[in-house]
Amino acid sequence: MELVLLILIPLVFAALIALRPAQESKFLAVIGTLLAAAVGVNALGRFDWGSPGAMQLEAAWAWLPALGLELSVGVDSVAMLLIALTLLLGPICVFCSFTAISQKERTYYAWLLVLQAAMTGVFCARDVVFFYTCFEFTLVPMYVLISLFGSTNRKAAATKFFLYTFTGSVITLAGLVYVGWYNATQLESVGIETAGRWTFDIGALEAAAQAMPANIQGWLLLAMMCGFAIKIPLFPVHTWLPLAHTEAPTAGSVVLAGVLLKLGTYGMFRFVLPFVPAAMIEFAPVIATLSIIGILYGGLICWVQTDVKKLVAYSSVAHLGFCILGLASLNTVGITGSVLYMINHGLSTGALFLLIGMVYERFHTRSMKELGGLAAHMPVWATFMVFFTMASVGLPGLNGFISEFMCLMGAFQAGDAWGSLPGGTGGSLGFWYALIAGLGMIVAAMYLLYMVGKVVWGPLVLPAGHHHPGHGAGHGGGHGHGHHDGHGHSHGPLPRDLCEREIFVLLPLAVLCLVLGLFPQPVIRALEPAVNRVVETIHLAGERPEKGHGVQASAPATGSAPEVMMVSSGHEGGGK
Amino acid sequence: MTIASDILQAVLPAMLGAPDAAHAPIQPVGAGAWWIGLIPALPLLSCILCGVCAAIKVKSKLPAWLTVLCLGISFMLTVWMFQQFAGGRSVTVAWEWINLGWTDSQGQRQALVANFGFYVDSLTCLWMLFVTGLATLIALYASEYMSHDVGAGYCRFFAAFGLFVFSMACLVMGDNLILLYLGWEGVGLCSYLLIGYFYKKPSAVAAAKKAFIMNRIGDLGLALGVFLAFVQFGSVEYKVLLDAARPYIEAAQAGHFDEIPFTVQLIPILLMVGAFGKSAQLPLYVWLPDAMEGPTPVSALIHAATMVTAGVYLIARTYPLFLVSEYALPIVAWVGALTALVAATIGMAQFDIKRIMAYSTVSQLGYMFAGLGVLTSTGAAFHVFTHAFFKASLFLACGAVMHGFAGQLDLRKLSGVGFMKGWQVVALAMLVGCLNLAGFPFTAGYFSKDMILAEAFVTPHMAPIGWILLLTAGLTAYYTFRVFFRVFVGPKSFEPGDEVHAHADHAHGDHGHGDHGHDAHGDHAHAADHGHGHAAGHGSGEFHPHAPGWAINFVLAALTVLSIGAAGLYFLGDHGGWVAKMVHESSANLPAVAHDAHGSEGHAHGTFLGMDPHKVMYYVSGIVGAVGIIIAFGLHYLGRKTAATANADKLVPLLGPIPKLAQGKWFVDEIYDFLIVKPLHLVSIVFAYVDKLLVDGLVNTFGWIPRAFGSGLRPLQGGNLHGYAVQMAGGVALLLLIVFLASIAGL
Repeated sequence: MELVLLILIPLVFAALIALRPAQESKFLAVIGTLLAAAVGVNALGRFDWGSPGAMQLEAAWAWLPALGLELSVGVDSVAMLLIALTLLLGPICVFCSFTAISQKERTYYAWLLVLQAAMTGVFCARDVVFFYTCFEFTLVPMYVLISLFGSTNRKAAATKFFLYTFTGSVITLAGLVYVGWYNATQLESVGIETAGRWTFDIGALEAAAQAMPANIQGWLLLAMMCGFAIKIPLFPVHTWLPLAHTEAPTAGSVVLAGVLLKLGTYGMFRFVLPFVPAAMIEFAPVIATLSIIGILYGGLICWVQTDVKKLVAYSSVAHLGFCILGLASLNTVGITGSVLYMINHGLSTGALFLLIGMVYERFHTRSMKELGGLAAHMPVWATFMVFFTMASVGLPGLNGFISEFMCLMGAFQAGDAWGSLPGGTGGSLGFWYALIAGLGMIVAAMYLLYMVGKVVWGPLVLPAGHHHPGHGAGHGGGHGHGHHDGHGHSHGPLPRDLCEREIFVLLPLAVLCLVLGLFPQPVIRALEPAVNRVVETIHLAGERPEKGHGVQASAPATGSAPEVMMVSSGHEGGGK
Repeated sequence: MTIASDILQAVLPAMLGAPDAAHAPIQPVGAGAWWIGLIPALPLLSCILCGVCAAIKVKSKLPAWLTVLCLGISFMLTVWMFQQFAGGRSVTVAWEWINLGWTDSQGQRQALVANFGFYVDSLTCLWMLFVTGLATLIALYASEYMSHDVGAGYCRFFAAFGLFVFSMACLVMGDNLILLYLGWEGVGLCSYLLIGYFYKKPSAVAAAKKAFIMNRIGDLGLALGVFLAFVQFGSVEYKVLLDAARPYIEAAQAGHFDEIPFTVQLIPILLMVGAFGKSAQLPLYVWLPDAMEGPTPVSALIHAATMVTAGVYLIARTYPLFLVSEYALPIVAWVGALTALVAATIGMAQFDIKRIMAYSTVSQLGYMFAGLGVLTSTGAAFHVFTHAFFKASLFLACGAVMHGFAGQLDLRKLSGVGFMKGWQVVALAMLVGCLNLAGFPFTAGYFSKDMILAEAFVTPHMAPIGWILLLTAGLTAYYTFRVFFRVFVGPKSFEPGDEVHAHADHAHGDHGHGDHGHDAHGDHAHAADHGHGHAAGHGSGEFHPHAPGWAINFVLAALTVLSIGAAGLYFLGDHGGWVAKMVHESSANLPAVAHDAHGSEGHAHGTFLGMDPHKVMYYVSGIVGAVGIIIAFGLHYLGRKTAATANADKLVPLLGPIPKLAQGKWFVDEIYDFLIVKPLHLVSIVFAYVDKLLVDGLVNTFGWIPRAFGSGLRPLQGGNLHGYAVQMAGGVALLLLIVFLASIAGL
């Protein structure tokens, strides 16, 4: 029931905001997100951390019984933690927008809350169609946030964001629906529990999809990856991201980096790995290669950016590369690292976007040519900036390290050469994958320290026309230059350095970065069973051909004759 | 192929031949004590307290005293730890950090376990004793040295200082390789923050960045080494790893390296890359000289005494793994020896005394690596220990000069400092430090360097290393005393550094315009190392050198005494002294057996021109050192009338382009820039354009296709929300319809 509340509360408050006058929007948004967070804390408490791998807090209502559609929710530890991240970022996004958003507040806050509801829905959905509905519905609020509240080039960015991700995910839906159809058209004797009737329950379809012949699994994997890869984004379908990030308002960027990208990785974890393990084994090197290209290519592009927000946006491409590499390693360490990465990236990159937003609010520029040495001007801001940069760079002791290290380690372990060694897991990655991806650690240091070196350290540089006391000479002239939107010097009530509200927004993230860096074990322990469940599925799939069921041999290549396939897959089902 | 096996044959037989030694029960891992955790915790506490001081805007020396207090207690606890736990080995787990398990394909349960735990044996104690001890003394020194920056900068400095000691403690005391990695990158961060302390100076920012990135290159090697160690042995904990290599030692001793799995032999090769990065060895040494942009106490503590010896520690700690690899130790020896030589040649031609000391640090670290490579981990550890004291005192003496002469570091502009009023302690500290560094007989540096030199000639196939190191010893004595004879003796003459002018500039620049008077000194770092108010008359009046106060003098005196006293350790106990005993009791102990093997005279070992290196090296290295000093005396003291010119200048034209090249640091930085940085930057720019034009361009092309179909579809791309919402709803509906129809068809 908590989970349903978590979806409903933001929706109700969104409706309230839409109905009430604009002056109350902020207040309602704060209450709504905090209430959702409180319910979330309750849900965390009610979640049985003793068996974190099992689906819990389940609830279901019939939706379209004829099709087996259900509004069913339930979470394991992975989903629970990602929901916790969503609920944490909710109030933060509201608080950080107080001064940045001064017009159309009702629209803004209402859509922000709808977005939160949709994202929560994605993580707790136990029905494929419900999942997909929420997955797609995140696009609408995000579209509005970018196109109405973004900066100069917002329309194009929003359009591209929408069309790009939408196109991909339609194909994902087709793939998922195909699994439902496949399940419904099997005879009941094949060993799939739900065979022969319509259901879109994720657990049921998981069993059905695993029973598919290998070549069909391959097609299914490609179909599902169409949507997820764009969302993540995986090279080469990442180009919507820098644009959308750069143009989005601060809260939009925070949600985008913090949670929306994780919908793709979560989708991979929830659907791709357990649904098509055999195909995943086959495609792991391809996906890993793309992720490594993303790490290095994205990282190097960061290094030559002059727009600080674009730099951080591209860094997401590089960072999520590590995340996918962990998933593609198909072993416990890698996948656990990947799930941790989803959370950690949300915290540290979310915070970086917040910090950049705070500077943007003051100086109305994101160009590193116009900003420099802010440590002297805004020491508190600079402290946070260095802190979160270090979290992002993967400094041990902070959160980013554990996950990055584990993703790389997972890839390293997954080498065929050491499949029989105690710490090796076998697989198709290994030393070279880890080495080349590991170069990304160096590149990350290069571009993040380049950013910090320009913006935080060095001689103080402020945009032309920005006057500040004690820095008259050389910077005094040229009022009004370089402002994108003609706001001039009206940075409202904001003081020179961070105000209490801004510190209050950043502090929880900073504390979590430290806590997750130094005490990650509770989270790791919670993730272990959930991850191992997936890993065991993959193991079984990997062993299958050796057992001589001859799946590929007996299945027709097209997969268009389910009756024939049933014979072969039936053996497998019985064999388990 | 046979080099390594020969070495091991010469060195290990006693242990492996005697069954009782080879199969001696492995010393059990005991339990530690809770208070061991306080040793790293107290510096962390001081860091937090300094952060609080910054937050509440403390404008006094309170942060310094808090730091000194915390570090002092930490040091006392270390002494206690040494008394209680040295000799054995114990593990104290503070909390469970990472513990992730799974079932492998054989049905065995495997787990990645890395606790926040502390592994204490004699090696740990040895390292922690000088780390915490020196940190306390240098914090005291810094309390005076940094006093011009009291306020936010002061808090920042000591916060990073405390964090550094915490990280270093994790590095040294961690009970597994991942915690070592935490400390490893943690000290890198502190190094970054402290090199960039004067963050308004672009050169300081660049140097900090360079240090971090260079270290990251090494860290990648270390990370891969950790991965491989885990894959091979199923653990990253020392208590498992260090014993896991034992079964292979027999094969290594017999020269049957082909019986040792390739993966086992690869582990140390990967680990040493990390060590080369952190300890500034070829080819990753170029960051260390630039790191001198940081305040001098930082250079002394981090970039001379402690952090840069982490690489030596890593190899000593995982010595059993290195011993079973065919190429690992020979590579370490060669890299160390070449680094020692290259850095010494550069050091000879520099004029900035702090940079000379930096190159000498690189060079001495090379000695330590060579020592490890020629199987005298004792010699390496002893040299680390003695070097920590004398190099710290050298840096602090240079720092005192810099402090007193407004940032002047050019040895052509300073002369006779030792004869000026109030500079006697500094000069004495400098003299003792120089004697140590030059390896003057009966100093601590002499004994520790000797140990490495002798062993290089003893160990088979390593004689070339010995000759390189011997040559380097001569060069070292020369460049060390070049500094001493130029700066501290001779005619009294000086030219103050540019910080006087810099300060004057400040007066017209940043500071003069009522910049919120209260935090002008806090939030704004001075553009240069010192903005000392003593530049009376704002640069126009006469400059008076500013002799050091009690804290600086006290610390210098203490370090001088300690660096002399360190020589005594050589005579404490038998066979190489106290340090040798400490090393023998630890994981770096295998070469200790080597000493016994030599002692038994049963094995032929290398000679120095037919003589026993152990006996003759005392004389040889003493003579080489003395010759270096005499040459320096002749070239830089005899007949020198001014600060700027000396006899050496007459020699320069005779050497052709060599002095120019050495002064330009053999242009290694420029070569790296040309070969790596520039091309990589170019590639990045190309990538950025490719991304914009090609990858994104392709997407845009697809995006344009529907548009080409004319106005019928216009609303779809019109950019209005309803269009998309409808489109999406339509898409969903369409797909549901398909599903529905399929269901009817199917059922």
